[in-house]
Amino acid sequence: MIVIHMLCSLLSYAAFLAAFVSGILFLIQEWQLKHKHMGWFFHRLPALGTLDRINLASIGAGFGLLSLGLFFGMLGSRLLWGAWWRWDPKELLTLALWASYLGLWIVRLRSTLRGRKVALLSILGFLLVLLTCVGVSRWLPTWHPVL
Amino acid sequence: MHILVVGASHRSCPIEVRERLAFQAEQLPAAYAALRHELGFPEALILSTCNRVEIYAGVPDVNGTGDRIASFLSAHSRLPAGELAPQLYTHQEPSSVQHLFAVASGLDSMVLGESEILHQVKRAYELARMHGTTGKALNTLFQKALNTGKAVRARTTLGHGSISVGTVALELAQKIFGDLRPYTVLLVGAGKVGELTIKRLTERGVSRVQILNRSPERAALLAAQHGAQAFGMDELTARLVDADIVITSTSAPQALMSRADLDAIMPLRRHRPLCIVDLGVPRNVDPEAGQLENVYLFDVDDLQGLAAHHQAQRRQAVSESQRIIEQKIEHFLAWWHQEYQACAPSSSALAAAP
Repeated sequence: MIVIHMLCSLLSYAAFLAAFVSGILFLIQEWQLKHKHMGWFFHRLPALGTLDRINLASIGAGFGLLSLGLFFGMLGSRLLWGAWWRWDPKELLTLALWASYLGLWIVRLRSTLRGRKVALLSILGFLLVLLTCVGVSRWLPTWHPVL
Repeated sequence: MHILVVGASHRSCPIEVRERLAFQAEQLPAAYAALRHELGFPEALILSTCNRVEIYAGVPDVNGTGDRIASFLSAHSRLPAGELAPQLYTHQEPSSVQHLFAVASGLDSMVLGESEILHQVKRAYELARMHGTTGKALNTLFQKALNTGKAVRARTTLGHGSISVGTVALELAQKIFGDLRPYTVLLVGAGKVGELTIKRLTERGVSRVQILNRSPERAALLAAQHGAQAFGMDELTARLVDADIVITSTSAPQALMSRADLDAIMPLRRHRPLCIVDLGVPRNVDPEAGQLENVYLFDVDDLQGLAAHHQAQRRQAVSESQRIIEQKIEHFLAWWHQEYQACAPSSSALAAAP
């Protein structure tokens, strides 16, 4: 149970990393287009549309995997310690992360926001991922081991 | 073994001559058979593109080879040898090697740095191999030439950026959307520029084209010719909601679209990216509209500026490309000398032995 929980969580972080990277590349390529600058990056980076699709797919996949990770984590906690939820700082942050990416995904699917703003949000989202997966175990008391 | 090239290009002769010299695909089997059996070349390759016709030969003895190729070309083109001869060039290694490497890299092309030539050289090499007329010398030479062409493309800016306004616009649109085929193009203004643009777009497989014009008759006429849909100017807003790429080329004295118009349209488009190429002078679209999110606006000056910039960049990349080519030639010639010249004394010694 815990292995599935860890595997899903790690894979979701990887997907959010992909969204982060495609978001950064999107911003670079968009800057080139807006400033009419066909430089080194212009020729080497994929089209904005492609980066946007990678970003959307990564956010969707990451959100799905994080949901599974959360579910199996809660199940494991219930079986091992008898409690679904233990108000651990990492649990709280992960819940915030889950809610953020759910929000981002819905916003992008409904096309309320698109392009640069979504790219920026997926970059900010990844900072929250870093805080959740590395920062918590360093700076806050938690039941969770290193990652 | 020697490598000889005899040919004619856009630099040496006009198109009328190149047309006569060109080899059609169906003529190649007979031509290769003639080179092999009638002219007796152990290795031969025909490079025939719209800008050049060249015959590469790998022969043990150069004496008379150039003339034999020239008369072969004269017979093929049905041009008198005396008339054709001044328009042909002949190179023997090392300059035949230098020539091919420069050709494959796009340095000898009409449009400096164009990439099509690399595919054409590759195709010509594959065809020659298919006809069994390449051996160790030409195989190595052409593989190295293709490798050099690729290295120049990868390591320099020689092939970067389009140098005509039309292709710059297409390149920009492709960097926004990727494959343009599934997208809708809206042409505002059915003049000459518009017509040219439709042709270019349909060449790239764009099938959904809509034309808007002040006189609907003219729009309908152009639409009928190119399988597009025609609309009157009053439908501008509705069409803008649908379209992905908008090309405007009207002579309207005032802007047709203001920033506020487009700002209002973007939510209706669910913020899908909108690429606007404004070819009108005075401009058809308020330049401020380019600051809106997901709107990518380019005017004639932007396109011309980029085209000129690319032209300059290509010229700058020439010396860098030449350095790479020189290096590659040096490698090739080192191999060549080792392979053939080192062998030469031993083969003559062998011949003298009995």
